[in-house]
Amino acid sequence: MNRPYNSMEPRVMDEDMLKLAVGEQGPRDEARQLARQEGILFKDVLSLRLDFQNILRIDGLWQFENLRKLQLDNNIIEKIEGLEHLVHLVWLDLSFNNIEAIEGLDTLVNLEDLSLFNNRISKIDSLDGLVKLQVLSLGNNNISHMMNIIYLRQFKDLRTLSLSGNPIAEAEDYKMFICAYLPDLVYLDFRRIDDHMKELAEIKYQYAIDELKQREHLIQVRLEEEQARREELEEHKAAFVEHLNGSFLFDSMYAEDTEGNKLAHLPGVSELLQAYKDKFVIICLNIFEYGLKQQEKRKVELDTFKECVQEAIQENQEQGKHRIAKFEEKHLLNLNAIRDESELSSFEMKIAEYSQDVSELFNVLMTLEMQLVEQLEETINMFERNITDLVALFIENVQSLMAQCRDLENHHHEKLLEIAINTLEKILKGELDEDLPEDARALFVDKDTIVNAVGTSHDLHLLKIDNREDELVTRTNSWCSHLVDTIHKDEITRNRRRVKEINQYIDHMQNELDNLECSEIID
Amino acid sequence: MEVLKEKVEEEEAAEREEAAVRAERGEKMTRPVEVRREEAPMTQEMLRDLEKKLSDIDLAIPEKPSTFTKDTIDISNLPVSYQSNTLKEEHLLQVADNFSRQYNHLCPDRVPLFLHPLNECEVPKFVSTTIRPTLMPYPELYNWDTCAQFVSDFLSMVPLPDPLKPPPYLYSSTTVLKYQKGNCFDYSTLLCSMLLGAGYDAYCVNGYASQDMCQMDLTRDVCPLTLKHQEVVQEKEKVPPKKYTIKPPRDLTSRFEQEQETKKQEETKAEEQRRLREEEEHLLDVEKAKTDPLHGLRVHSWVLVLSGKREVPESFFIDSLTARSYSNQDDHFLGIESLWNHKNYWVNMQDCWNCCKDLVFDLGDPVRWEYLLLGAEKSHLSLTEEEEDALNDDYDVENLGKEDEDKSFDMPSSWVEQIEISPEAFETRCPNGKKVIQYKRAKLEKWAPYLNSNGLVCCLTTYEDLECTETLEIKEWFQNREDMLELKHINKRTGLNIDYFKPGHPQALRMHSYKSMQPEMDRVMEFYDRARVDGLVKREETPKTMTEYYRGRADFLSYRHVNFGDRVKKLALNSAESNPRPMVKITERFDRNPEKPADEDVAERVFLILDERIQLRYHCRDDHITASKREFLRRTEVDSKGNKIVMTPDMCISFEVEPMEHTKKLLYQYEAMMKLRNEEKLSRHQAWESELEVLEILKLREEEEEEHKLTISIYDTKRNEKSKEYREAMERVMHEEHLRQMEAQLDYLAPFLAQLPPNEKMTRWQAMRVKDECLSDFKQRLIDKANLIQARFEKETQELQKKQQWYQENQVTLTAEDEDLYLSYCSQAMFRIRILEQRLNRHKELAPLKYLALEEKLYKDPRLVEFMKVFV
Repeated sequence: MNRPYNSMEPRVMDEDMLKLAVGEQGPRDEARQLARQEGILFKDVLSLRLDFQNILRIDGLWQFENLRKLQLDNNIIEKIEGLEHLVHLVWLDLSFNNIEAIEGLDTLVNLEDLSLFNNRISKIDSLDGLVKLQVLSLGNNNISHMMNIIYLRQFKDLRTLSLSGNPIAEAEDYKMFICAYLPDLVYLDFRRIDDHMKELAEIKYQYAIDELKQREHLIQVRLEEEQARREELEEHKAAFVEHLNGSFLFDSMYAEDTEGNKLAHLPGVSELLQAYKDKFVIICLNIFEYGLKQQEKRKVELDTFKECVQEAIQENQEQGKHRIAKFEEKHLLNLNAIRDESELSSFEMKIAEYSQDVSELFNVLMTLEMQLVEQLEETINMFERNITDLVALFIENVQSLMAQCRDLENHHHEKLLEIAINTLEKILKGELDEDLPEDARALFVDKDTIVNAVGTSHDLHLLKIDNREDELVTRTNSWCSHLVDTIHKDEITRNRRRVKEINQYIDHMQNELDNLECSEIID
Repeated sequence: MEVLKEKVEEEEAAEREEAAVRAERGEKMTRPVEVRREEAPMTQEMLRDLEKKLSDIDLAIPEKPSTFTKDTIDISNLPVSYQSNTLKEEHLLQVADNFSRQYNHLCPDRVPLFLHPLNECEVPKFVSTTIRPTLMPYPELYNWDTCAQFVSDFLSMVPLPDPLKPPPYLYSSTTVLKYQKGNCFDYSTLLCSMLLGAGYDAYCVNGYASQDMCQMDLTRDVCPLTLKHQEVVQEKEKVPPKKYTIKPPRDLTSRFEQEQETKKQEETKAEEQRRLREEEEHLLDVEKAKTDPLHGLRVHSWVLVLSGKREVPESFFIDSLTARSYSNQDDHFLGIESLWNHKNYWVNMQDCWNCCKDLVFDLGDPVRWEYLLLGAEKSHLSLTEEEEDALNDDYDVENLGKEDEDKSFDMPSSWVEQIEISPEAFETRCPNGKKVIQYKRAKLEKWAPYLNSNGLVCCLTTYEDLECTETLEIKEWFQNREDMLELKHINKRTGLNIDYFKPGHPQALRMHSYKSMQPEMDRVMEFYDRARVDGLVKREETPKTMTEYYRGRADFLSYRHVNFGDRVKKLALNSAESNPRPMVKITERFDRNPEKPADEDVAERVFLILDERIQLRYHCRDDHITASKREFLRRTEVDSKGNKIVMTPDMCISFEVEPMEHTKKLLYQYEAMMKLRNEEKLSRHQAWESELEVLEILKLREEEEEEHKLTISIYDTKRNEKSKEYREAMERVMHEEHLRQMEAQLDYLAPFLAQLPPNEKMTRWQAMRVKDECLSDFKQRLIDKANLIQARFEKETQELQKKQQWYQENQVTLTAEDEDLYLSYCSQAMFRIRILEQRLNRHKELAPLKYLALEEKLYKDPRLVEFMKVFV
């Protein structure tokens, strides 16, 4: 690292330095005049070179938000930083610096070409975000461990890699190893990998790679399964009936219910509980299936609605475009005619005619838009009515099913109470033959205690059911109102945008006309 | 025959009744057959006159009937089955005669049946046995339409000797095919044989047809090729309105006015239609032929195909002369006497007063169709009318009982040889490879491929008038052209020529329509855009413009329109190449590039070259109705200080749908303009290249037209010279190889081995002896040969010496001639002696070598080798 400018003071990347660089590297010749006249905004710069500047710390680059190519080679940078905002970066050169670790590159998802040649890096990592990476130059570094290569397997587009000058490259089977583990690589250390080499490497490391592949495959499968499960849950959530396709609700009822669990040990209760559970789960499943079906219905409804609205808008746009095209055709002729006109009176007449045309166009376009607004409003109202009805029906049916659940619970409660009182009597009489756990026996002190215990359990269960029902109803309603709101809002935005567009266009036309008039008068 | 009798009686009764009714009403007789019968005797002379006239009219038919009589047919080589009848056939003829007698007796007013005409060897043959069902080896002949077309093309028509009677002769299909001539009966027999072979339920029909049909006169028919295919308008399935389809805006127009309007329109339409109809009728009147006095009497033969087999949905007729199919209801067919296939013969017992329209082709119904042989075709009985069915069954049973003894035998197999068509004949198709058909206002000419040197295979000339004098348009079809020209369409009225090409033209040309081959005129060229690098689909030219359409280009260019100005006059040179026309305006349109945002994706750019103005129009965003526009105006001006002004804001006028900051900058505009100027140059260059290409194509086309080379498929072994040569070379090589093998098989040991006792293993001693004998024999032969040569040599020398002696003795008395003779003899003798000497020397040289070679061979001979080893 004996560089001639080592003696120089480290420099700071300041505004002046950047401006100078931009100015120097900006457009040439005639364009430079213009550039000087206007000045160049940093955010318009696409490519920037800052080499041999003795920079120690990267700074002040946040303004270059559209930068595609950045060269920072031959400096004394020690840490990669300050590049987070340059998300459009494709080409990054950080060679001949003093960097020790790869970092701060996670946001540069578009990066294709990265050079870290001649630095002090000892480990390849923190490159996960660079999914488009094609060229990676890591020569003359301190990479010593072969396992770093395996990390590079995740870059599917990587074609060129250089690692010469690293301790790793000294190894005997360095080339073979890389060829085997990175089969898609085309160039290694600036040389093309020949097919023969690839074959040899494949044979040599076949077992290791197969194993690796197997492992990767397993991970992949697991990820996919996870993904599928998540998606399914997401779907159920959209139908507002998640966790109802099994005994989740029932289990949750008993999860916090200590009394109920204690009472389960009473003779005859376990059978009762089992029967209760079965019935309960069946109702839950009913709700679940009904929910999915309703969701499907709502989706179809929504899709049809959107499609129809889209069609209507499309048609309206076509009409508008047609009108404008027709107008422009005429406009071109008019303009030429007006330009050629020499006589003042007929000129003015033509101008007046033209301005009439413009206002007529405006009227036509606005009428079209108003018409569409009216039509859409009607359709939207209809849709709103229908979707609200659908949701109301859904809620009503779910509620009736939930009521069945509650009935079941009440029934169960009565049965349980009966059993409990019977047991109490038996205990009091000392006729009980079965063994009861200590904590359960503790409940059978007197009638109040046992009734209270059973009652608590019952209340808890009812609460759970109510909660679930409330949740479902609130979420459904909020979804519905949100949907309707969005549709209304979207329609309003669309309308505003279209009106603005029309106005803008008409203004432009009017302006052109005014300009004509002015120029004519000046002439 | 009781059935027949009963029927006849019934019929007669019915007829009588009918006649009575007719007499009462005084109606005209409507049955053509009857009309003929009664009117014929009265107009015999008239008929003859007419016939004469008709034969005068028929001059268009070149072959006279006499050319295809028995005399021209070589019967010596025909097989025995042609020249005599087998016992079974004799029996059949007797049965047929019997049937005919009964029929004549029962129906005396009907013409005699066409049962057993004579064949080419003057032998009577039953018509059914003349049909020889054959499946042709050509896949093209598997369907009825192509089959009929082939028969119609392959044979040339000879009119019947007597148009009112079936012919006395019916030749075998093989003979007909050989001479490629025949009358309608020959045509039908051949076609029927082929259709039966292909699995159709086909029948030959003997009946009556219109004059046009009998004389194969198509001049009143519209040519099928001129008929334009009426495009089937696919009715769009109306999508049921969806639930949320918006309601259309309220219609505020007056309904009453609308009604009035439609009423008015309908009236005008009706008027128009009436006028059209009147015109049509008028035309029809003009075109309508004069009525034929022999209408309904002309005998004709055609083919009937019944539904059922080969997925034929409905029975129909094929006119074998013209290969056209007609429905059973067609007006051209006026009556049926009888019909037959290779198995049976049926006589029509139905009334033909309304042509063939009322005929029921249910051959199992004995009331309608009287069959000749029992037992063959009963399955045709329609099962719909059950009563009748039962009735018929009864009849059948009766028939069986009574006629079983004498009639229950099958039709004998056909006497005709297998029908064969050689591939050459199949390809040549028409007699001499050429055929001309005259249609109404059209003439169709056909040629065999490769017959014309320019590849012309078909030519359709359409005329304006019925007399075919004013040519309207000519369509020429080509085949096997090297330039892939397929169809040439010449419109004589407008002078427009359209050439159509198959894929494979060197310039990927698909269609070329032009009025003249001069450049810079109106023309349209279409291309196979996939075959072209630049994706050009179409190029239209007028004297002042050129429009090009592209498809599938990487730069999304889809359209380019160039306006040309007047050519700047230069002295001397004025050709298009040296002095291109100046371009005034170039308009280019682009398809949407999905990778660019709409505001940066140019939809149309116009280079106004003279004004130095460039107009851009961008694509419209998905949810917008207006598109951005930009106009650049290039003016080089100098400011007050004398500096060049590079760019000023008024040089770029732009309208942006969504104004952006960076596009307002002069730098951006300047760069955009610079880029556009480069592109303008490029576009101009491309337009110029297009012009050049047009010239090139025109030149190429002219050359191709002059050369008109034909391609020959490598699979065409007959015509492809190269493959022929190759094949011959291969054959030669094979032949030589064969000879060599023959030589190698010469066994020099055979005579000696033969001397040994057979079937015994050779001992060593024997082997040695065989070898020695063989060698000594060979040695002897060599010596003999040497001696022979020596002897000849000596003899020749002696003779020469004698002659020389004689010459010296008589030298004085010799005439000049004798001396010449002597001298020539001497030189010849000397030559012979020298040759003999050479041969002797050569033999002396070669003999030991040959001897050694044989010895060597013997050592290696597989039969002797085991015995020889010991000594080696």
